[in-house]
Amino acid sequence: MNRSLRRLSIACLAMFVLLLAWVNYLQVFRVNSLASEPGNSRIFNEQFKNQRGEIIAAGGRQDQVIAESKLVKGGVYQRFYPDPMAYAPITGYDSVLGTTSPFGLTGIEYAENKYLAGSASNLAVYNLKGLFTGHSRQGASVYLTIDPKAQAAAYDALAAKGIPAAAVAINPSTGAILALASYPTFNPNRYATQDTNQLAKIDARYRHDPSRPLDNRALNDTFPPGSTFKIITSSAGFGTGRVGSATSTIPAPQFYRLPGSTHVLTNDGDAPCGDGHPQIIFAFTLSCNTAFGKLGATLGGQTLVSYAQMFGFNNFGQGASAPPLTIPLPVTPSAIPPGLKDPAETANSAIGQFDDAVTPLQEAMMAATVANHGVLMRPYLVQEIRAPDQEVVQDTQPVQIRRVISSKVAGYLTAMMESVTHNPSGTAYFTASPSATGGLDIAGKTGTAQNGRNNTNLNDAVFTCFAPGSSPQIAVAVIVKGGGFGAAAAAPIAVKIIQAYLGQH
Amino acid sequence: MSAVSRSVSEAVTTPPGGLRAVALPRSRRGSELAMLGFAIAIMAFAYASVGFGLNGHLPSGLVTYVVGFAVLVLAAHLAVRWLAPYADPLLLPLAALLNGLGIVMIYRLQESGIGNNPGAVISTLTTHAALTQLLYTAVSIVAFIATLALVREPRVLQRYTYTLGTIGLVLLAIPALLPASHSAINGAKAWIIFGGVQIEPGEFAKILLAIFFAGYLVSKRDVLSLAGRRILGIDLPRGRDLGPVLVVWAASLLVLVFESDIGTSALFFGLFLGMLYIATARTSWLLIGLLLFLFGAEVTQALFHHVGERFTIWLHPFAHGNQYGNAFQLVQGLEGMAFGGIFGTGLGQGEPFHVPLVQSDFIITAFGEELGLTGMMALLLIFALLVQRGLRAAVAVRDPFAKLLAGGLAFVLALQVFVIVGGVTQLIPLTGITTPFLSQGGSSLLASWIVIALIMRVSDTARKPAPQPIQDEGLTQVVRAG
Repeated sequence: MNRSLRRLSIACLAMFVLLLAWVNYLQVFRVNSLASEPGNSRIFNEQFKNQRGEIIAAGGRQDQVIAESKLVKGGVYQRFYPDPMAYAPITGYDSVLGTTSPFGLTGIEYAENKYLAGSASNLAVYNLKGLFTGHSRQGASVYLTIDPKAQAAAYDALAAKGIPAAAVAINPSTGAILALASYPTFNPNRYATQDTNQLAKIDARYRHDPSRPLDNRALNDTFPPGSTFKIITSSAGFGTGRVGSATSTIPAPQFYRLPGSTHVLTNDGDAPCGDGHPQIIFAFTLSCNTAFGKLGATLGGQTLVSYAQMFGFNNFGQGASAPPLTIPLPVTPSAIPPGLKDPAETANSAIGQFDDAVTPLQEAMMAATVANHGVLMRPYLVQEIRAPDQEVVQDTQPVQIRRVISSKVAGYLTAMMESVTHNPSGTAYFTASPSATGGLDIAGKTGTAQNGRNNTNLNDAVFTCFAPGSSPQIAVAVIVKGGGFGAAAAAPIAVKIIQAYLGQH
Repeated sequence: MSAVSRSVSEAVTTPPGGLRAVALPRSRRGSELAMLGFAIAIMAFAYASVGFGLNGHLPSGLVTYVVGFAVLVLAAHLAVRWLAPYADPLLLPLAALLNGLGIVMIYRLQESGIGNNPGAVISTLTTHAALTQLLYTAVSIVAFIATLALVREPRVLQRYTYTLGTIGLVLLAIPALLPASHSAINGAKAWIIFGGVQIEPGEFAKILLAIFFAGYLVSKRDVLSLAGRRILGIDLPRGRDLGPVLVVWAASLLVLVFESDIGTSALFFGLFLGMLYIATARTSWLLIGLLLFLFGAEVTQALFHHVGERFTIWLHPFAHGNQYGNAFQLVQGLEGMAFGGIFGTGLGQGEPFHVPLVQSDFIITAFGEELGLTGMMALLLIFALLVQRGLRAAVAVRDPFAKLLAGGLAFVLALQVFVIVGGVTQLIPLTGITTPFLSQGGSSLLASWIVIALIMRVSDTARKPAPQPIQDEGLTQVVRAG
């Protein structure tokens, strides 16, 4: 019987070898595919076991933690947002659904999740260290370019206004975003609940709220730019040589009947624009529609489109085929009809009406380009990322997108924008002049955009500016939906942000 | 009676002169004690590690559990010194290590979510499950010692071949005859439940039937391996020799299908086939058996919903929401093992509580999750070693009954590990049986220890020097009866 026993013993050995090979396959080669199975509870729970990195507003004199993970009852980590409403459009939220749901993470929480969760490949060495020291994985911290003071001023001013609005502030020489606020907004702490039923309830409430608190109006909502578009029309006029300098005269009839149309373009209150042949700086200061409508029509639709696209419109002219700008939050491209030709439509487009649509960020990029002597910098929110031991694992260097206008043209525009606030007849004199702002040298442009069907809605108030005019440090854009006049509704908010930012430097 | 005389004659026909010249073989009990020390130390460290993993503290019952466990296995060791001094020194430490790790894992699962411990509370486990398991261990060690004491020679059992076989079948049949309230747990009607006591008679029937098969096959193996017609190059056995065995097989299969306990059913059939093969060395028996098995599987799959379902969840655990339905347990186990990866999460730091009833059939997945591939392979190798030592005892012993018994018991141990570990890892369709020594529950543990006692008895018989007087007596008593 020993022969059969030996054979049976080989069979037993074969069974064990098969089991050993199989568990190797299971625990080495199938690890990733099983981890990515939907409904894997362990992967789901993983997020509560490791300390997620902090998000820090580090663009000012003092850093402010705006998202952190704290150990709570039951030995799990929970996300906290110390200043939830002001920073919600930036931080987004981190819900228990995490990466398992397309709505599980938003904002920086989503865009920098790899680093915050500690799973980025260049954090592997820290994770390995943790494996041997027995510490649980710790995420890297994300340092933002946001200045806490400017951000607080922006959000407080928007909230005080109490109607849908957004504000963006940029450092014009680097593109670093100093403030980014949107109102109405949401409380990301509500999303940090570990109770999935509670989460679903909160999410449904926010999603069905008619005031759309989850929208990031600074980046993903577009508005008609109104008269602020005259910055681009002027740039095109100077750039093409059609207008020689800020003091060159341009035709500005009191009533401008649009070519091939019965529609008549007028100025605010049907007022005349000087003597009908004002200097462009005068027309800009008063924001004459007829002057810039006619200039636009003269330049032609395609010239206007190409200048607008250099400033960033239509996804920098690449359209929907190219990936849109990310800062790293995705930015909705601002729009001007790419096939613009019809003179009447072009004239309307030249004063920021017709189908023009901008995000508040695009508005700020326009002012920042002028402030930076004609060079557009790539806007960015994340300054650096630091591993748990504070070592910098990623650092953002300013990137030049392109020179949009010559520094000479930028100088003309600066003079024109300063005139808007300094000249007593300027549209923003009463709210943004040095005397109204305690001596601030602001260069800006107001916009009061008609919108809605047959322009029956309340006008959107737009203000884009930079300061100080002589040596620009901050560019700010504010859009207040249905706010009325740009000078009255939007400019005071921009002034508060500038005061908060420059007040500490 | 012919079986007895045959075994005697075989023992005697080997030249006794050779044995006499050899020096007394070493008992190796010292090695066994040293290895038991290792087993106790590993258990103690694992137990402490659970506490550190769960809440950073030494667990409160450390002394109770470690000292209790140590006393028990040392008692077993002393009993072996007295009752089976020449037994294989590896068997007891291996079994003790598995048993110890089982207690540790049950403690870890029982502590999940209790107090400030991480994880969810496992509602199917009481807060004293590990203590109960230690108690079961005590009962099992007593049974181990009792088995060694009662069965002083393997062939003692041969006298009761048919009696034990009958008892085995009755044990198997009882749950089928009892009302569900006294026999069913989680769909398997394989229990005897009275008062608070739950007994799984199948575990003991397994041993009794192994004894029966051994006794039966010893007396019939010549007939079974010789006679028969040759069809298509295969020697078919004669119908009258086949009869009793077919009856046993069909009866146990029927009983088990009625008890919805497919795992044990497959195990019995495998045990029978394995022993038949040991006895006859005929591949034809294996072929016939496999055909019968496939036929049985096909028929049961068609007839019984729960069998077909097992195949579906085996092939498509993640399809059509199966992972939230019938395949939930399997999928949770797989995801747990994958989560553990190569090194595991560490004891107390995984999430085995996701697997329903993880303490019984799926306990190996908890080891896979917390000790990783490394721990999993170590456990499988311990089982493999246990099986190989059992088979080695079978090869070494002269008495054909003991040979068959040890071979059968070792093989059924291998088969049981293969069926359950393969089942929970999706290698083969899942059938609910316990993992020997590791799973929570008294019946399985008790039966496993009796198996080890029987294998050690065979091993002792094989290795001990033949006593002089019996040898002489044997020489004068040569009976050519076989």
